[in-house]
Amino acid sequence: MGKIKEKIDVNEKIEEELKAIFSGDIPWVTIVWDDPVNLMTYVTYVLMELFGYSKEKAHELMMKVHTEGKAVVSTGSREEMEHDVARLHEYGLWATLQRGDQAL
Amino acid sequence: MSEVQHGFFRHGDNTYLANFTEAEREVLLNLAEQIIELLAERVDHQSDDPLAAMVGITVHDTPPEDEVLLRLLPNAYADQVDASEFRRYTESTLRQKKQAHAMAMRMHIKAAVDGVIELDHDSANAWLGAMNDVRLALGVRLKVEENTHQELELLAPDDPMRGVYAVYSWLGWLQESLIDALMDESQ
Repeated sequence: MGKIKEKIDVNEKIEEELKAIFSGDIPWVTIVWDDPVNLMTYVTYVLMELFGYSKEKAHELMMKVHTEGKAVVSTGSREEMEHDVARLHEYGLWATLQRGDQAL
Repeated sequence: MSEVQHGFFRHGDNTYLANFTEAEREVLLNLAEQIIELLAERVDHQSDDPLAAMVGITVHDTPPEDEVLLRLLPNAYADQVDASEFRRYTESTLRQKKQAHAMAMRMHIKAAVDGVIELDHDSANAWLGAMNDVRLALGVRLKVEENTHQELELLAPDDPMRGVYAVYSWLGWLQESLIDALMDESQ
């Protein structure tokens, strides 16, 4: 075995990243953005189909997208959110993911 | 287009029907073909890693330059580095999934007997995805972002965009009829 490096320069930012990796407590979010083409009923239907949301919940989220320009439609690990975004893109919704602690 | 329009309607538990004229089928077929062609893989000038290609990883990590393609294959992250990385691993799969929707649509139209299209729940979802992709593509060309529907309604009869807008509106209506049929809880 080689000599163990005695000192590693760990700055705060790296420390934070490492913490996030191991604790996994920073959730990621999937955001759907308003789009002038997608029909309101279509957005509602896709949210019901992909996430198993009730008609009421899907409708509420769709209205939020429509009136506020965007809405968080799901929360979870980064990997899960990448999967959600890919499925939303497959059905033509305009979606992105980001860390939950970032400003929308 | 037919004088009495019904669009899609529900027939029993898991069947959705629509009756199209020959002209309507031709329009739908043509649009499906165009989406399939549009979503074909980018031509590579660099030599691809065959193993990477097999699992759907491409050398492409920049967003498509074409406005329509960019709307169909959007960035998943606001951050450009993350967006590029995600695109490299997923764009190829997304193209294939969208193509599969349009191919299902093409197959059903070709298989229609007496103009009647018969769909189950899964194929209805494929149709919705395909019709939506066509509307997204036409929407970019019609600049629906800037133009209001009133402005688009008032396009001059000789404006080629007038016909595009007619197809765009018709597809929206057709899509809505299929969603209504799918969400109809009375049956």
